[in-house]
Amino acid sequence: MRRVLTMIMLGAAVALSGCSTVDYGDAQARETVNTDFGSTDLQMIASKMVDDMLVFPPIVQLTQSRRPVVFVDSIKNKTTEHIDTESITDTIQSKLLNSGKFRFVDMTKVESVREQLDYQSESGLVDPNTAAQMGRQIGAEFMMYGNFSSIVKREGSTKDVYYKFTLKLMNIQTGIIEWANEKEIRKTQKKSLFGM
Amino acid sequence: MMSLAKGWLALVLLAALSGCATNSLFVSYPSQAQKWKTSLASETPNPAVLGKLEQSTAGGDGVLYFQELGRVSQLTDQPEASRNAFASAVAEYDKEDASAKIQVSSLAATGTAMLTNDNARPYVAPDYERIFTRAYQALNYWAAGDATGTSVELRAAALEQQVAANKRDKEIAKAEEDADENSIDLNQFDGYFEGLNAVAGDVKASFQNAWTFYLSALFWEAHGEYNDALVDYKKALEIHSSSTMLKEDVERVSNRMKRRKVDGGMVAVIYEQGFVQPRQEFSLPIPTVHGLFSVAFPTYALADKPMPNTLRVLDSASQPLGETQVLADVGALAAKDLKERMPGMLVRQTLRATAKYNVQKQANDNFGLIGSLSTQIYNLVSEQADQRSWLTLPAYAQATRFTLEPGEHTLLLSTPQGNATLTVPVVDRGLTVIHAVAIPGRLITRVLPVQEGPL
Repeated sequence: MRRVLTMIMLGAAVALSGCSTVDYGDAQARETVNTDFGSTDLQMIASKMVDDMLVFPPIVQLTQSRRPVVFVDSIKNKTTEHIDTESITDTIQSKLLNSGKFRFVDMTKVESVREQLDYQSESGLVDPNTAAQMGRQIGAEFMMYGNFSSIVKREGSTKDVYYKFTLKLMNIQTGIIEWANEKEIRKTQKKSLFGM
Repeated sequence: MMSLAKGWLALVLLAALSGCATNSLFVSYPSQAQKWKTSLASETPNPAVLGKLEQSTAGGDGVLYFQELGRVSQLTDQPEASRNAFASAVAEYDKEDASAKIQVSSLAATGTAMLTNDNARPYVAPDYERIFTRAYQALNYWAAGDATGTSVELRAAALEQQVAANKRDKEIAKAEEDADENSIDLNQFDGYFEGLNAVAGDVKASFQNAWTFYLSALFWEAHGEYNDALVDYKKALEIHSSSTMLKEDVERVSNRMKRRKVDGGMVAVIYEQGFVQPRQEFSLPIPTVHGLFSVAFPTYALADKPMPNTLRVLDSASQPLGETQVLADVGALAAKDLKERMPGMLVRQTLRATAKYNVQKQANDNFGLIGSLSTQIYNLVSEQADQRSWLTLPAYAQATRFTLEPGEHTLLLSTPQGNATLTVPVVDRGLTVIHAVAIPGRLITRVLPVQEGPL
């Protein structure tokens, strides 16, 4: 018994003193480290939303001859994790922009833009012919907003996480929701019997 | 035999020197905790004590020291450090939840524990400590004005409470059966209390935390999430079914859901009284033919338990506005946890006593009196009860609330530990939260950012 214990202790000591390594991986590779919100979830949500939106018939019709202007409102984080929902909408925004169907205005940068416009018009340092003029921005036609919620169950050796991401596109003038979709993700983690 | 004894010594040494060794192996945890508890009594924290505490987080009991560090930092007005420490504690919980059922590293620690004491086993945070970590982290985000962060932590706290309840499903079901005949008549309250399971309240009070429910209910109410608020007020009421304050809260939120207008602003005082009592050690010396053999168990002594005392709020004309009531008895939560851990401890203690007795016997047989004496001394010294638990938690967590006219108000908070005068802003239909912590010789107060809003 004692010999076994000694062996276990020595084994643990050796295993715990192992060196760490650094390597580059594929950013698109499936990440299944744990049930927490991860890169694969973000990518799955973004591609599902964008793919769905771009083939939705009314949207196809709407974007046939023009590129509507959209602003992104915040996505409400209603999960039990600290998730940067802006990062999800950033990805969705980039993909939609790259599709060439939509244009965006960025509400998070309004203050910086205002400062820059004030500087151009009031500091006297900028050539008035090249200065951007006040009151010439284009108003957004649509608002993109949504919710991100989760249901977590943890009992014994099982942890089950269900995520639901809902995204909606509203016509600001009419108040009509032109498009909405949701992406569900379920992840389950079971404790292994043996481990270090 | 000589080689065997050497083997034992080597094992203990290896365990002590390896990173997994815990600090409480030979120095009792309450005496360590006394250092940072004492340092809290002065306004400026002692950097040496905090530094030592921070170092301890690297050991096998990291999660326990992270909890203490988070709490101490919070009380000494270091929000960043507190947030980091609690986040690390949460990361440790996640690691514990995901870890394999049988772990080589914990087997090794159990092996060490066979020769020394239970303190060699890595500390596993009980439910009630996890719930407090989440609640304190929510307060950190709340104080920083981060509503999203606060809501995430409060939801996580609710999840921990749910997990704690699920674990004890059978106990709750039994309490419901027992209480069937003397069930509480809730019809007098006009359907506000539908779906309330008050009969299991006493059982739930032993592992769930009504104070945390109350805290989150206040937050949800202030943010217009009346549905969430109602659920949490009801859960608090399940635990304290006779509380008039909680009944009024449930009624008020029900009314708000019906869009009845309420005037004035609400002021809530969340009050934490004292420190939870530490575990005591009781030692049972068993005489054998080869000498005394001591076995140590942890316990909670009733004499150590502080009496609850309330915080009273007076206005500038010395008129009483409110008095806090106990929502969570942390000493009882801790005692319940120890009781649940006892069967495992008894098994390990019996095995350990046998193992140590065998060593003593061999020493006696092979080395005579000197050997017997030295192993007896080792056994006496190494036999330490597992006295580890989060000790900067309050003894009692309390709360009260009252309504005031909008404007600036000067309030006097009166407790046996000291008084404080605060000037707080009150906003129409808003919520002002005062966080008061009474520790021996000092009353710490702060006002959380006012939520102006759809209260």
